[in-house]
Amino acid sequence: MSFWFWHGLKNGIRTTQYPVMPDLTVGVTPGRPVKTLFANSQEAERASGICPTGAIVSHGNESAVLLGNCVHCQRCRTSLPQAMDWREDYEWTIGGSDQKEFEALPGAYVRSTHIMVVDAGDCGACLREVKQLNNPFYNMHRLGLFLTATPRAADVLLVVGPVSENMRGPLLKTYEAMPTPKKVIAVGACAISGGVFGHTFMSAGGVGSVLPVDLKVPGDPPPPLAILHGLLVATGRKSPSREESVATVGASA
Amino acid sequence: MVLFFILALLGLVLCKLLGGHSSARALAILSSACSLLMMLSGGAILVGGHAVEIPLWNIAGMGALGLRLDMLSAIFLFTAGLVYLPVSLFAGNLARRRLYGDYPIRNYGMLHFALMISVVVLISADGALTFLIAWECMSILCYLLVNYEQSHRSDTRAAYILLAMGEAGFLAVVVAFLILGRGAADWSFAGLAAAAAQLSNKSAWAVFLLGFFGFGVKAGLVPVNFWLPRSYTAAPPIFVPVLAGVTLNLGFYGILRLNVQLAPPHDPAMGMLALVVGSVSALVGILYATTDNDMKTMLAHSSIENAGIIVTGIGAAMVFSASRDLVPAAIALVAALYHMVNHSVYKTLLFQGTGEIEATTGTREMDRLGGLVRVLPVVSVIFLVGCLSIAAVPPFNGFVSEWLTLQSLLRSAVLASPGVRILFALCGAALALTAALAVTCFVKVYAMSFLGIRRGNWHGHARERAHPPRAAMGYLAVACLLLGVLPTYVVPVLNRAVQPLTGASAAEALVPPFFTATAENRQLPPAFLEDFHNLGAQSGRSWIPGRGLVLLVRGSEQNPVVFAASPAYSLVALVIFLVVAWVVVSRATRKRTLARKELWAGGIPKLLPEMSYTATGFSNPVRVVFQAIFRPNIVEDTRETVAVHFRTAIHRRREETHLVDRLLFHPVGDAINWTARFLAGMHHGRLNAYVAYSVGFLLVLLLLFRLS
Amino acid sequence: MSISAPVVSAAERVDERKLVEGIQERFGPGVSISRGEGGISISIALHEAGLLPELSKCLFWEMGCSWGGFVAEEHESHWRLSYVFLASRLGWIEVLLHVPSGAHRIPSISSGVHAADWHEREVEDLFGLSFEGHPRLGDFILHDQVWPEGVAPHRKPHRKTMDVQQTHLRHRPNPDWRPLLVVQDPGAFAMPVGPVYEGGIGESLHFLLETVGEDVVRAIPRLFYNFRAVEKIAEGRSVPEGLLLAERFAATSAFAHSMGFASAIERLRNVEVPERAKRLRVVLAELERLRHHTATITDICGSTALAVAASQASIVEEELLRASCAFSGHRYLFGLNKVGGLSRDFGAMALGRLQRSVNEAAERLHVLEDRLYFTSSFLDRLEDAGVVIPEKARDLNLLGPVGRASGQGHDLRQECAYNEYETYEFEVPRESEGDGYARLRVLFQEAYQSARMITQAIDRLEAGPVLVPEDRGSSGVGMGWVEAPNGAALHWVRLDNSGRIERYHAMTPSFNNWLGFHVAVEEFAFQDFPIILATFGLSATECDR
Repeated sequence: MSFWFWHGLKNGIRTTQYPVMPDLTVGVTPGRPVKTLFANSQEAERASGICPTGAIVSHGNESAVLLGNCVHCQRCRTSLPQAMDWREDYEWTIGGSDQKEFEALPGAYVRSTHIMVVDAGDCGACLREVKQLNNPFYNMHRLGLFLTATPRAADVLLVVGPVSENMRGPLLKTYEAMPTPKKVIAVGACAISGGVFGHTFMSAGGVGSVLPVDLKVPGDPPPPLAILHGLLVATGRKSPSREESVATVGASA
Repeated sequence: MVLFFILALLGLVLCKLLGGHSSARALAILSSACSLLMMLSGGAILVGGHAVEIPLWNIAGMGALGLRLDMLSAIFLFTAGLVYLPVSLFAGNLARRRLYGDYPIRNYGMLHFALMISVVVLISADGALTFLIAWECMSILCYLLVNYEQSHRSDTRAAYILLAMGEAGFLAVVVAFLILGRGAADWSFAGLAAAAAQLSNKSAWAVFLLGFFGFGVKAGLVPVNFWLPRSYTAAPPIFVPVLAGVTLNLGFYGILRLNVQLAPPHDPAMGMLALVVGSVSALVGILYATTDNDMKTMLAHSSIENAGIIVTGIGAAMVFSASRDLVPAAIALVAALYHMVNHSVYKTLLFQGTGEIEATTGTREMDRLGGLVRVLPVVSVIFLVGCLSIAAVPPFNGFVSEWLTLQSLLRSAVLASPGVRILFALCGAALALTAALAVTCFVKVYAMSFLGIRRGNWHGHARERAHPPRAAMGYLAVACLLLGVLPTYVVPVLNRAVQPLTGASAAEALVPPFFTATAENRQLPPAFLEDFHNLGAQSGRSWIPGRGLVLLVRGSEQNPVVFAASPAYSLVALVIFLVVAWVVVSRATRKRTLARKELWAGGIPKLLPEMSYTATGFSNPVRVVFQAIFRPNIVEDTRETVAVHFRTAIHRRREETHLVDRLLFHPVGDAINWTARFLAGMHHGRLNAYVAYSVGFLLVLLLLFRLS
Repeated sequence: MSISAPVVSAAERVDERKLVEGIQERFGPGVSISRGEGGISISIALHEAGLLPELSKCLFWEMGCSWGGFVAEEHESHWRLSYVFLASRLGWIEVLLHVPSGAHRIPSISSGVHAADWHEREVEDLFGLSFEGHPRLGDFILHDQVWPEGVAPHRKPHRKTMDVQQTHLRHRPNPDWRPLLVVQDPGAFAMPVGPVYEGGIGESLHFLLETVGEDVVRAIPRLFYNFRAVEKIAEGRSVPEGLLLAERFAATSAFAHSMGFASAIERLRNVEVPERAKRLRVVLAELERLRHHTATITDICGSTALAVAASQASIVEEELLRASCAFSGHRYLFGLNKVGGLSRDFGAMALGRLQRSVNEAAERLHVLEDRLYFTSSFLDRLEDAGVVIPEKARDLNLLGPVGRASGQGHDLRQECAYNEYETYEFEVPRESEGDGYARLRVLFQEAYQSARMITQAIDRLEAGPVLVPEDRGSSGVGMGWVEAPNGAALHWVRLDNSGRIERYHAMTPSFNNWLGFHVAVEEFAFQDFPIILATFGLSATECDR
């Protein structure tokens, strides 16, 4: 059985340099649409119309993107005569809410953060991306981030999914069972704004309707680096995104 | 002593005459007084060191009947009194709460006092005749008391088995005495002791076996103890502590009297047999205790386990004394007697707790209990003390006696024969396993009954809040603590009883005097004493009473080797640690606020009782590991609906036959049945056949006469 | 290493004439057989409901069909109930029953066809229909513990958007609720697992493991914590919106499900997808299957705590995700399918890079597989753990890799080929032991076959369009089927006159296989539960929709 040890060593180090250096490998992020200047206002209107969740807002011939609603359907990239501009970055985390600024976790938790992950009706992609954080490429343990199975030992609650009605009770219980200080991170478009499911009798339309959310990581699904960025923001080692086009709105269509 | 008899007889009469409530109170008061007297007299004899004699009347042709309380009797008397006191208080408490049930208390009181009298007479008997008469009385009274609530058929069956086994044991004992006394002048114990010296080897073995197994019935040894679990379960809750704390000890008394004092073993093989029987009893007892879910039955099996430990000690003592190693023999006997006293105390406590639980909730099944700590707060604390004691956790008394027993087994190093040493080692290993299983068992008992969430449908608030039996149980808990923390005072007292039995004193080995008197000590060299003083053996001299340090010494005079345990020091250390920990924690968390939230159970709306661990589940690993011993038949019956893949109910029933039943009694019973059937085959009613039998028999007789 | 084990399933070709004649002979005047529409080959319309159980039983057991799904539709005056069976290499057979609106009791078929058990329970919970003779109805999607009785959310009058005034919809915990326990033993208890899974990261599912201490006697699953009523949301939406919903309810099989939905609409509208699009669809579907199986292998290694193997497998998974992203613009292949083809084309360089990545991944998997089969402590946990015997697998109609490990040879790519799968060379691995080790072997083999097919499809690519223009106007019924990574998935769509979705029903493989899971987990120790869960590789969210 000792061959596992050599086998592992043979494969070398794969871990990304992020957060010390940005990771530019192809395929780490699907990218996102950004504010685009169209040829005329009809093109801009068409761009707004093609977005199924209302993430593109047009004024004149300029289209801005509300990233919290974007579900990465890529229609604005593939199905428009003039495609939206696309940027391949991943630091998308939005902090705070209308009422207050975001405050990171205090000092003792910075290098040792325990995260509780709750699947509240998720499609599976966001959960899978969170799981990738444990693989040798991202290796969140080196940054002091750990997963815990019980909320009693958790500092950060990471919620994926639009909060299906059957999970509302368990999610609330999980939040109640966590001791302070605690932060809630909503990961994915579904968790921020309901995604493609929206606000129905079985879906709460985002974690914000159920719990107070401290951080939002947009994307559908956000790539692991974006989630990592979100966790680093939670511990104060990175600051949240300040871009204008990265503002969120409440419920979708 | 005479005062005792007067009070007891008075009590008997009063109970019968008065009715109901006042009868119960009279029972309580007078019985308490009697038991106090028992304790006092026992204690006086032990401390004073003189035996007391009370000659009674003479019976023509059989000899004198008399009572004589020597040291050994005094210990048993004291222990009996120790047990009877809380029993009486408990009885009074139950009376006050009107919890006697449907049966008239006056008969019970009568029998209670009669039993007390017969026990005292038995313990103080001076001759075989008194002894046997008292034994028979005690046996029958036990049966009557166990059978007290005779409406349940299983109870009467259990009592019947008790009676049958008791009588069988009694017969064995009578035969043993007869063999012993064949060449004796009279039937007094002194005469019998003299006669014992002239026994042939075969007779000595016969006396030993008959006496050991005969008394073993009452003492609860495998394989003659199958009446014990049944009787304990059947007996009423007031009486069970007496069964466990008094009559069980009488078995040991018999063994000690007959097999150790009157007919001391000359052959180490006798002692080894006792050793093996004891260890096996202990192991079997605790295995069945761990997997049982009825509290009373579980405690009965645990009594078997403790009886096994005691008999192991006695067996070791017999081996040592047969090999002329008298000091280790004394140590082993001290250990056995100490364990007997401890067992009486904590078993009574546990049985009373069980009675209290049954009175409050109406059930004894641990699968149906849970969460009792909220309903019975005082009882739960005291019960915890009892559980810790029986699990041999310091600073309580179980620890000291088990430690001493195991240590005395380790002293087998002085024996010559390697085979015997191996046997000792194996028995020691068995006892160690027993101790571990005992911890499991009592963790299960306490956790499943008192902690956790309530699993059954009982409501018992009203009945508990009124007067829990604090005095009775509290007194026992305090006794547990004292016996555990002050062994240096107890051991010399026990030593006095042991000295006449073995001819050597264990006190020097167990409680060397250099802790009490620093100046002189003949056994140990001054350099050694110096080392010990540097270790701090003298610390706390002024304010820790006794500085209970119990140790065994071995080795030569130049370098003695010491095994030591100090319950008093450990209690002090424990208290200091707890206080320090409390102080540190309260300082460190001064600024924190405590938020009480709901139980976390994975997010389900509510944790239901069906979802919490049951006692069966807790002890299942033991059941699985020792499956070869248990050999259960699991009957699974599933009722299916239309669809094969969907079952609506799975009924599982576990049926087990006890190991001893399976190996011993069922084959014997089957053999008897087979023989009977065979013989029955001869009786088919045909006249011709009977005539033929007669003719045939006549022919055989004639032939025999012809040939001889 | 795939063994051609004796198959206890219905993978042999079913003769159409024999089938039709057999049915007509037995059921005579009670049925009328005709050609089906929208992908259904044969439609058997029942005139009396009483024949339903016997006919289903006959089809499943005697005629050798396998179970597809159950579609219930509410029309104005009647209910249209369609029970779908698959006759291997022949096509889909539908048993059609119309029941007037007032009648609410329909005979249950689950006593004969056990695989239909959960389908009927779902319809009962969501539509309020009651099935006579079903052993256990209720407490399925709408948990009895928190939902009141009588809420049938998929019925037409029920609105899908939340109305705050309608407080009777709000669930409340019911304090008197008790789980319906099966084991009657004084010492038995039901250990709750979940819904917030205690194993770290996991999907929300709840199990009550009934036990008497060491091993699990009975496992009661309570799923549907991820139920988002996708089918109800889809009603009234346009086809592109429906496509988006079909893609997103189970994102680890996103491409497969969106392809199923798209093919349903294509069949409805009689649209012929161009050749290049078909071949690219094969490439993408197999890429997804490869990645999905690698993810399952990672989970299996992780569940047995063989950390190095789990890391190695997750390296392969991440490489495949990055390759997918470089190729298609999204790690999980979102947004590629459209009705009539694909939304974008791919250049030769991109295809070449993809080919290389796939070959590398297959290489790595080979090495990993060899190493794993030498690790006896790992194999010990998998062998004889969670056994599903072939008879049970046939009985419950288990699909996908789970079914194939228990001797079932169902694979829609062979039995009911689409996208010209019949022209590709590939094997469908089969084992018969049905334990965790067999499932692992099947997963590895299927991954290699997927890599093989990607190579074949890329080699055959010719220039051409990838999309045909849509015809928006038609209405009707269409059924699409696809062999998703977890097994056979069916998508059934009905469009109304304005081209909007009137009814959408997805019959997913996880929904089918969860029924078999709790059969597998019984009589095993607690410690094996997470491992058996990982070897099944099921997706709760795909089941819950």
